[in-house]
Amino acid sequence: MKVDIQSLETFNQLAREGAEQATASMTQMTGIEADVEVTKMSLVDRKDLGEELGDRAFVGVQFDYEGELAGETVLVFGRACSASLVEALIGSADDEAMAKSGVKEIGNIMMSGFIDGWADYLETSIDHSPPTYIEGNGPAVLPDTTGSDDSDHVFVFKSRIEWVDESVEFYIYMLPEYDPLTSIMADHADTGDDAIPVDKLEVFNEMTRSGTEKAAENVTMMTGVETTAEVSQISFAPVTDVPKQVSNETYVGTVVEFTGLPSGYLMVLFDEVSAKNVAEAMMPIDVDGDGLTDQHKAAIEELGNIMTSGFVDGWANVLQTSVDHTPPRLVHDMGQAIIDPLAAQVGRQQEHAFIVDSTMRTDEIEFEAEIHALPNEQELREALDELLVDRVDETEADPEQIFQE
Amino acid sequence: MPEVLIADDSEFMRNLLREILEEDHQIVGEVENGVEAVETYKEENPDLVMMDIVMPIRDGIEATDEIKNTDPNANVIMCTSVGQEEKMKEAVKAGADGYITKPFQKPSVMEAIEDVVPS
Repeated sequence: MKVDIQSLETFNQLAREGAEQATASMTQMTGIEADVEVTKMSLVDRKDLGEELGDRAFVGVQFDYEGELAGETVLVFGRACSASLVEALIGSADDEAMAKSGVKEIGNIMMSGFIDGWADYLETSIDHSPPTYIEGNGPAVLPDTTGSDDSDHVFVFKSRIEWVDESVEFYIYMLPEYDPLTSIMADHADTGDDAIPVDKLEVFNEMTRSGTEKAAENVTMMTGVETTAEVSQISFAPVTDVPKQVSNETYVGTVVEFTGLPSGYLMVLFDEVSAKNVAEAMMPIDVDGDGLTDQHKAAIEELGNIMTSGFVDGWANVLQTSVDHTPPRLVHDMGQAIIDPLAAQVGRQQEHAFIVDSTMRTDEIEFEAEIHALPNEQELREALDELLVDRVDETEADPEQIFQE
Repeated sequence: MPEVLIADDSEFMRNLLREILEEDHQIVGEVENGVEAVETYKEENPDLVMMDIVMPIRDGIEATDEIKNTDPNANVIMCTSVGQEEKMKEAVKAGADGYITKPFQKPSVMEAIEDVVPS
């Protein structure tokens, strides 16, 4: 089954417009100004769904919908955020029953606008259930989609909305069932030169997970600290939204440009505490001082280099090609400042971008690393076309065997 | 002691390799790119080159190719983070004698050296 880039762009735009409509409804009801920061369509492993919610407490509403498009839509607010909303709507959040009712009503109005846009585009009606009040911590607040259809992966349209001048955000998730969505996308596709085989995106996602696991193994080997791959997903978003994929905290890491099929950019980023911890775990001697020394930076540069190879080598081996990359360039800046020039480079050739995101963590020390790849859209499409699904497990090459041949 | 040239753009990795090797080997040079690797090889004629692949100015495969063209008896072990089959084949074609992928532990480095330059 193939979809074209235009369809992906259209579907992404529908989700963005839906989120903007929902946000405008909220502002109209409460007077609270908010902006849609990011809308992206991601293909994620079901078990990774909602990872960005951390373990924070959320409340919200959930709708089931059915028709040509079937699935669930969820709107979740942080608890503090929901209290402010309810206060703005009804004056006080003290009465719990009234507060829940307020959240449901805000959610109902917001999400009706969200779903209506899809129905109009598809020239059909999409029936949705009455809103169900939901609450929970982190991903547990989202509906359990395992077992809802055969695929291990789920397409999710995800919008992050931030209140103006406030560090408060809420999320809209649209979780369509895999088969009806891919059928609709294929039906709306003009499968010409820019067609993408959807099933191979799923395979590519699995390759990305293998790459993340390999990169995590490399961290473990270099530091002695057991590190696990947490999340990997491939998303599709306007190039203008790409810088917002990374938070605005300060990161230390490496950037490389890779060439081959596909070409693009790859970042390995650590927050400053993680960078210091992981660099010191790599060093045989203690380092004086609180800041990042040249020794820390040299260690991070080499770790970034090795993690980059671990991540992209699997792509090259499965695709039976080579992916070269430049020596790593050390970066130390705010996340968006690091990714912005790379997005600008990518944006010279394309309006939308695929973004490959992975994270890894360890429990032993405070450590978290993110890997973000920005492949050239057209070349990724060519790579997917050439991808032999049977080779998906061939991510590792054995030098001994090759040197003996 | 066998003489070794280390070619790697990472100071961290050069230090690590030096620490692993200096007990049993004489380090005759540490360089940061393929051009310096070729020049230093010609000057020092070491018994072994530990060669990274991804380096600025000139990569390790090109440098290996030139060293092997200059001296077919040169011993070169690729010591790289790159684990791609096609790159390994390119390294073989350039004349590399061994291939170690980073990250590595001391035993795997010593084993690879023993295979190429038996003590």
